[in-house]
Amino acid sequence: MTKRAAYVGAPVGREDAVDKVTGASRYTHDLAFPGMLHAAIGTSPHASARIVSVDTDEAERMPGVRVVLIGETLCYQLGLYMQDKCILARRVVRYQGEPVVAVAADTLRQAEDACRAVPITYEPMDGVFDPRVAMDYGAPLVHPDLHTYAHMDGVFFPKPHSNIAHHQKVRKGDFDAAWAAAAVTLKSAFYNPPVQHVPMETHATIAQAMPNKRVELWTSSQSPYTVRHLMSVAFGLPHASVRVHVPSVGGGFGGKAGLNLEPLAYVLSKAAGGRPVKVVATREQEFNTLPSRQGLHSTIGIGAAEDGRIVAFKATYVWDAGAYADYGVNIGRAAAYSGAGPYAIDNCWIDSYVVYTNKVFGTAYRGFGHLEVLWGVERAMDQMARKLGLDPVAFRRKNLLRPGTTTITGERVTEGHGSPEQCVDAAADAIEWGTTVQPTSPGRVRGKGIAALHKAPAMPTFTSCAAVIKLDEDGAADVLISGVDYGQGTYTVLRQIAADELGIPIEKVHVTWECDTAFSPYDWQTVASRFAYMGGNAVIEAAADCLRQIRNVAAQALSADVSEIECENETAFVRGEPVRSIAYADLALGYTYRNGNSIGGPVIGHGRFIATGLTHLDPNTGQGLPAQYWTYGAQAVEIEVDTGTGEIEIVRIATAIDAGKVLNPKLCVGQVVGGVLQGLGSALWEGFSFDSNGRLLNPSFVDYKIPTAKDVPTETKQILLENPQPGGPYGARGVAEHPMISVPSAIGNALYDALGIEFDTLPLTRERVLLALRAAGTGKHKR
Amino acid sequence: MRCGRSGCLAGRPRSPMIDTEENPFARLRRTGFTSERTAVFEYVRPNTVEDACRALAEGGGGARILAGGTDLLVEIRNRLRMPNLLIDIKRVPVLNVVETDSSGTLSIGAAVSLGCVMETAAIRDRYPGLAQAAGSIATYQLRNRATVAGNLCNASPAADMAPILLALSARLLARSPAGEREIPMTQFFTGVKQTCLTADEMVCRVIVPPHSEGLRTAFVKQQRIRGHDLAIVNAAGAYDPGSGVLCVAIGSCAPTPVLLEPVDVHESRGTDAADTVIDRAGAATAPISDVRASAEYRRAVLPVLLTRLLDELLGEEGRR
Amino acid sequence: MTYAIRLTVNGHVETADVPASMTLLELLRERLHLTGTKEGCGIGECGACTVLLDGKPVTSCLVLAVEVDGCTVETIEGEASDGELSTLQQAFVDGGAIQCGFCTPGMIMSARALLRRNPDPSDKEIVEAIAGNLCRCTGYEAIVAAIRTAAERQRGTGGGSHD
Repeated sequence: MTKRAAYVGAPVGREDAVDKVTGASRYTHDLAFPGMLHAAIGTSPHASARIVSVDTDEAERMPGVRVVLIGETLCYQLGLYMQDKCILARRVVRYQGEPVVAVAADTLRQAEDACRAVPITYEPMDGVFDPRVAMDYGAPLVHPDLHTYAHMDGVFFPKPHSNIAHHQKVRKGDFDAAWAAAAVTLKSAFYNPPVQHVPMETHATIAQAMPNKRVELWTSSQSPYTVRHLMSVAFGLPHASVRVHVPSVGGGFGGKAGLNLEPLAYVLSKAAGGRPVKVVATREQEFNTLPSRQGLHSTIGIGAAEDGRIVAFKATYVWDAGAYADYGVNIGRAAAYSGAGPYAIDNCWIDSYVVYTNKVFGTAYRGFGHLEVLWGVERAMDQMARKLGLDPVAFRRKNLLRPGTTTITGERVTEGHGSPEQCVDAAADAIEWGTTVQPTSPGRVRGKGIAALHKAPAMPTFTSCAAVIKLDEDGAADVLISGVDYGQGTYTVLRQIAADELGIPIEKVHVTWECDTAFSPYDWQTVASRFAYMGGNAVIEAAADCLRQIRNVAAQALSADVSEIECENETAFVRGEPVRSIAYADLALGYTYRNGNSIGGPVIGHGRFIATGLTHLDPNTGQGLPAQYWTYGAQAVEIEVDTGTGEIEIVRIATAIDAGKVLNPKLCVGQVVGGVLQGLGSALWEGFSFDSNGRLLNPSFVDYKIPTAKDVPTETKQILLENPQPGGPYGARGVAEHPMISVPSAIGNALYDALGIEFDTLPLTRERVLLALRAAGTGKHKR
Repeated sequence: MRCGRSGCLAGRPRSPMIDTEENPFARLRRTGFTSERTAVFEYVRPNTVEDACRALAEGGGGARILAGGTDLLVEIRNRLRMPNLLIDIKRVPVLNVVETDSSGTLSIGAAVSLGCVMETAAIRDRYPGLAQAAGSIATYQLRNRATVAGNLCNASPAADMAPILLALSARLLARSPAGEREIPMTQFFTGVKQTCLTADEMVCRVIVPPHSEGLRTAFVKQQRIRGHDLAIVNAAGAYDPGSGVLCVAIGSCAPTPVLLEPVDVHESRGTDAADTVIDRAGAATAPISDVRASAEYRRAVLPVLLTRLLDELLGEEGRR
Repeated sequence: MTYAIRLTVNGHVETADVPASMTLLELLRERLHLTGTKEGCGIGECGACTVLLDGKPVTSCLVLAVEVDGCTVETIEGEASDGELSTLQQAFVDGGAIQCGFCTPGMIMSARALLRRNPDPSDKEIVEAIAGNLCRCTGYEAIVAAIRTAAERQRGTGGGSHD
């Protein structure tokens, strides 16, 4: 049967849009249950301190207060990959903003008042705030008991009695020899500060502790099954005893990928005798208490031959994990195996250290370390190009991965990988690389920059996804899946795929909106740009399963052979004889003959996809196959700098991504436009500021600025290439994170072009630019 | 010209006002509150300036005027200020008035919003710098609530309404049980978030004295982002081409907004005028480093802003 | 101490007894159970709580319930009419201007007020009207385009009955 594609590839609209545009969508923020209590959290004012005493007596007596909890009573150890975290700080606090006390009360105000009525005595200790200092012998230890923590053996390697949560290595070829033999070498250092996801809906969870050691959760999460699993592990509950609902989610960007407020909500509910408890982060807590994106210090060395080929690459990545490792160790790992950019490099040496500091901790963030790494790599690539006297585009074309080359973990690149070169060319063309335009007025300077990007889903080798499709009485189809659509639109893509695969008009195909681990089949997590890929494949298989059931029944009913049955347009019919047909509606719940005999039954198909062929990485060399697929891209930008104030105007920015297959152009473009602006935030404005005591100075929108409608670039272009991905649904690859990844590096490169000044630190604020111009003495304008 | 709320409550049940049987202030003084708790305060909504003044005086330092609330309610939420009474002046008709009298004096009532200022043709045409300053503040939503008087009384060193009103020699009419007084803008700010108002005094209106027909005004503001932001540096100027007098005021570079000594442009000529202004600005300001910007950046960008301000004000004259 | 207030919300008269410290946002969400209006920051910076107060967009987190006694409030729940999406809502749906949806109610309210006061806004005017509504997902381009489309459609049909 040929695969029809009426919907896949079309700009089908979202089914959830109507609920969202009328205010009918229910986010965790909006839910309320009878008897529900409201929780407030009290946090530590110190970055590093011993908790000397906590007095909850007064708080417990305050009106409306039902529960007051502190860390001492909660002996649970939590963590995704490293079990290094408590629900509430116990004995010590490790970052300013860390939750120390929690109260559940009848009203939120009562809970907040009670939190503030808990006197806590601290004994401040020395903290460490720079991960490079934290790595040194003799630095204060954030986790003196690191060696006792359970962790994912064989994948992560914490160094006992240190602040190093993980050390990932890549050793390919013979770096030392190649470096020594290189004609041209350079070494540069770069820095990214921590930033925050800033979802418009802050973290929120409602938990209800049920009798018999069960718990039911409603939570703003990207990963219901991960929440279930980690709750199960943390509290020693069977998985089936933990039920997770995910209603509408108001943005995640990785911050809601793991376990956040759920354990706290649960223990509060348990202590409240099973009353539901709602915990909602204030915006300040979202910045200061909930996790961020790790900061990164990079040192990069590149050695090249005379002809411009890179012969040696070395990088040291020192990740600022903050107080807890969370996803940080996996980011350190992923960044290492991706850490040389999309280039063919025979001799590569990478050390990626994930280091504890006494600051708010890092978690997954769109790009999973790749924006941070490529800030350094792509800037260094431009520097090497210049040192060689080569045009940055030409230099990249000489070195990009192409079929026949191998990645730094030894993976052989094929046609099916997609084309970084086409992406670079497309992005360069889109901004008319090589031509110059006069600035709009005196005192303004123009520049162009380009940067390549790549990313594979950073996921365990056993990552899987399952989908169930059930038919309704009228022949409509419902898809059950527990990846989460938190705005990226994947459910719409899955509807399109299901509709095409099943041969049902899309108006009659639905993806059940809210996930429930009791009903929706397993999905690993909605991260890593892998949901459309894996969910799409699972849906294809589930649809095939439905069709098998349909054809079996239809064959009997139509007195034909199964092989003669075609399925199209909600109808099963005998090939060549469309009159001999049965509507899906007539067999969706089984088929009944005229005499009453019934055959078949409810049509329910299931499909699944598990990551195939992935291997663990060798702990010493990092060699292996970590990537299900790579998505390549490039971003090119033309800027105009106001040399009086340091303001950078983005005249135009082009993003080219090899999507494999654009499943839905409207949604895909939406991801690119949104991702580019979020990348612009990281590039120009965003970054945490800490004082010398590790206190966060900008935990609110007043001083943490994200782009508004006024900050949109003058012109943006999205170029979506389609070199098919073998194994991808309709040839598609993931594209969700990629649009962010090289925005900062492209702009950094453009700044050099405009001003002749090297920028190594983000964000590229007006202040940073202007003061650099002044220091350089008007700055050279290189042409 | 009238601008603002309908204030029409005829026939509708009114909220309990100040004259209940027990004086709420007495009750609050007795029960007390701690700065730790969520705000507990009472609310009154007088219809006359007299009632508002009386409520303020009887509040004994614990009462605050509520106009737009865009600063005050944030401070209350963040527990930086814990008043026990809010006096909502938005339905005092006379405080909602924007008018120019026969002498050319512009009067902006204390409850007049920034949005209203921007939409008032008389202000847009006569004092574009004033409308520019109002339009630079926050967002469209906040400008529908925030007031000119509130921006001044909040007394941030970065107050965006301050430089232009200083440059225009504005005055504030303040009222207390003791009577009324006019406070020149130059005396109003006494420190970071501090004004010369006494605890029982409220601003009733901002008064801009008459200026010549050809007066030019402009406002400049340096932000971190094009979206809404506080001023890293701001400045405003009023220039009378007829007399050649140029008044410039600067904000966010000192504990209070600063009015520079007027410059006679005719005497010093265009480009010299810019240099004079920049020199005076350097002497009169002392920028600090904070989470928003470093002192170095403020010092670097101030002359740039002033040059652009003067370009706009002096036009051709400035390029001689 | 509580205060008796009376206001009109989406055409219905509502009464409540509220403490002075209750915000309009809390009144809408907690008392009137109109959860379409969202809290994003509580300090007026993000616009997620935008409603129309006597026709003007305001951030309801910085308006006290007692202040709106006698006033008219419009929220997202009042935008559609008899289950029919308004032109503006339909344009958002058609134009891919919605991703996670959390900023959407506030955006629609800001846009609604814009189109009432200016039926033919330039892109610059659209941007100014929604600059106080933060969105982290869409990058704003599709939102601006949807508002432009809604304006065109409204002008084309002479405006809907409730537009």
